[in-house]
Amino acid sequence: MATMTAQDFDAIKESVQAGNKNWIKVGMSTCGIAAGASNTYRALEDELTNQGQTTVSLRTCGCLGMCHAEPLVEVCIEGLPRVVYCNVTEDCAREIVRGHVMGRKLLQDHILAMHYEEAFS
Amino acid sequence: MSEKTVLLQDTTAGSTTGTHDFFGIFKAALRESNLADTVRLVRVADMGIYNQGVVMTILPEDITYANVEPNDIKRIIGVTLKHGNPVKDLLYQPKFRQMRLVLKNCGRLDPSSIDEYIAADGYRALLKVVEQQTPEQVIADLTASGLRGRGGGGYSTGLKWKFTREAAGDEKYMICNADEGDPGAYMDRSVLEGNPHSVIEGMLLAGYAIGATQGFFYIRAEYPLAIERVQKAIDQARERGLLGSNVLGSDFSMEIEIRLGAGAFVCGEETALIASIEGKRGTPVPRPPYPSVKGLWGMPTCINNVETLANVAPIILHGAEWFSGIGTKTSKGTKVFAVTGKVRNSGLVEVPMGTTLRDIVFEIGGGIASGKAFKAVQTGGPSGGVIPEKYLDTPVDYDNLQKLGSIMGSGGMIVMDEDDCMVDIAKFYITFCVEESCGKCAPCRIGGYQIMHILNGITEGRGTLEDLDRLILISRAMKMGSLCGLGQTAANPIISTLTYFEDEYREHIVNHRCPAGKCKALLKFSIIRHLCKRCGLCERACPEKAISGDREHGYSIDADKCTHCGVCFDVCKFSAVERV
Repeated sequence: MATMTAQDFDAIKESVQAGNKNWIKVGMSTCGIAAGASNTYRALEDELTNQGQTTVSLRTCGCLGMCHAEPLVEVCIEGLPRVVYCNVTEDCAREIVRGHVMGRKLLQDHILAMHYEEAFS
Repeated sequence: MSEKTVLLQDTTAGSTTGTHDFFGIFKAALRESNLADTVRLVRVADMGIYNQGVVMTILPEDITYANVEPNDIKRIIGVTLKHGNPVKDLLYQPKFRQMRLVLKNCGRLDPSSIDEYIAADGYRALLKVVEQQTPEQVIADLTASGLRGRGGGGYSTGLKWKFTREAAGDEKYMICNADEGDPGAYMDRSVLEGNPHSVIEGMLLAGYAIGATQGFFYIRAEYPLAIERVQKAIDQARERGLLGSNVLGSDFSMEIEIRLGAGAFVCGEETALIASIEGKRGTPVPRPPYPSVKGLWGMPTCINNVETLANVAPIILHGAEWFSGIGTKTSKGTKVFAVTGKVRNSGLVEVPMGTTLRDIVFEIGGGIASGKAFKAVQTGGPSGGVIPEKYLDTPVDYDNLQKLGSIMGSGGMIVMDEDDCMVDIAKFYITFCVEESCGKCAPCRIGGYQIMHILNGITEGRGTLEDLDRLILISRAMKMGSLCGLGQTAANPIISTLTYFEDEYREHIVNHRCPAGKCKALLKFSIIRHLCKRCGLCERACPEKAISGDREHGYSIDADKCTHCGVCFDVCKFSAVERV
């Protein structure tokens, strides 16, 4: 294939950034999976289907480093603050779809606030 | 007015009751101000801030208040919720925060998508060097940045690259050491699983700098998911022309392959690792010659740890000056720690070098989970040592930890409380080293075994005071005489526990008592008659049938039959079982 140039890098960046703004990410590294993230993922998938929700993309990601709070699920729905839910059991996962995604309400008692600065942006 | 969100938690109460009360008061105040429909009030599970009363974060402004009292609510509504301005005297002033450099994209990106990594400016550093920089410039940048090896040694990465570049050889090799084996450490696994491309890019940059044509990922086989994700990332990078022949259209060509470690701790040592890749038995050989001169298959070889390599691309992109602006005089940048043990929030923490241990354990870690007294923190795994309470305010960097008799190591940090016995901890680590010793050199093979033997005796009540001198003597011999890092440092946990907790050793030896109640052979159990309610729970629970009696006459423990398992102590609801 042709050699990638700086323009190709820019194009990839643009297309990724232009992607779906509504998403749910499940931390699926060893730590998350050990805490039950696979079940959480399946429950989210199942409940999104049950609710007929097709515009939210369900993704996986690595580990945020908050092992005590796994499984972690980050939810970004346009118009609502982007939040990370902790200790997301299957029931909680379904509640996220029903309450947060469909009902547009943040769940009580499940958010994990994170405070860190990024070394560069 | 735009919608706002208030996240709140009572961070002192520790339960949700306090939060609920405050939540009700706040909710009522919002209703009074006709804001109930535009302000979302959300109780959070964990604010990540501790013992600061009611803490709230208001979004989208991202204003955080601490120690909020009910009579502050009016001002918060008037100033912040209505007009978006901060109430200055309530603002939470964090002493410091985590700084994410290596972990920045971990948990944010999909590790199986190279596009997401590229969108986060991934492989830009590679593009920059192949187009604009000579290998010498890359090495100069790295040297100026002050980056030191994150695998434990703390050797200057720039210098290591320089020596490998300058060494003569037909071919040169680049190895990423991902044989993370310290008990309680898993930073590298998280980086490999969460952002494999960042390490691959680091390897390519290193390969470009030293003139390597071939790179190896040495990953322990116990990390199947990391292996899978790294392999996938390598394949994707090759597909895009980012590795292989003529990287990004340049003259630079480099291949990367994975080699699996078969579970030997000693293979984390450079020369043993090289032997293992060559297909030989994983045992170290004396240095010099160093691998940078004579390494894999006799060729100049550079070995860097996962976290070290993950630092490289940001340094190239943002400059040596930017990187050396973070950290302390001798240790630059950030360090990822895996904080585990008795701490409330176990997990990965990335902080600038120079952050104090107290901040890491108590501010980020949230303190001791059970609320018991802090005793020590262990850093550096089996090569490190324990650091007691009085040194908690030490800023963490390579040199300070060494002064305290521990080491930075790869970043494991195990927090211990009053229930942890220091002799038992020393025994645990030396047992680990005895099992993992390759057996090639006598000081490590024999010394480790003898130390383990003495510690076993002390924890079983057979210790003598002369044992303490013997421990020091053997430890020194191991340090001076062992062939590789494993043996040279294996006695560190013994020396440091003896330095800071000699009393605890003496208590075991002289009074046959384990103050932490951990050494089972030394424990004696008895029933305190006046506290006993004669419920019979202990009798039914005792697996050895060492407790006899009945509900009329009470119960007693037969010391001869008792195996010190402690089940009776645990089940008694009336604290009527005494453990001494």
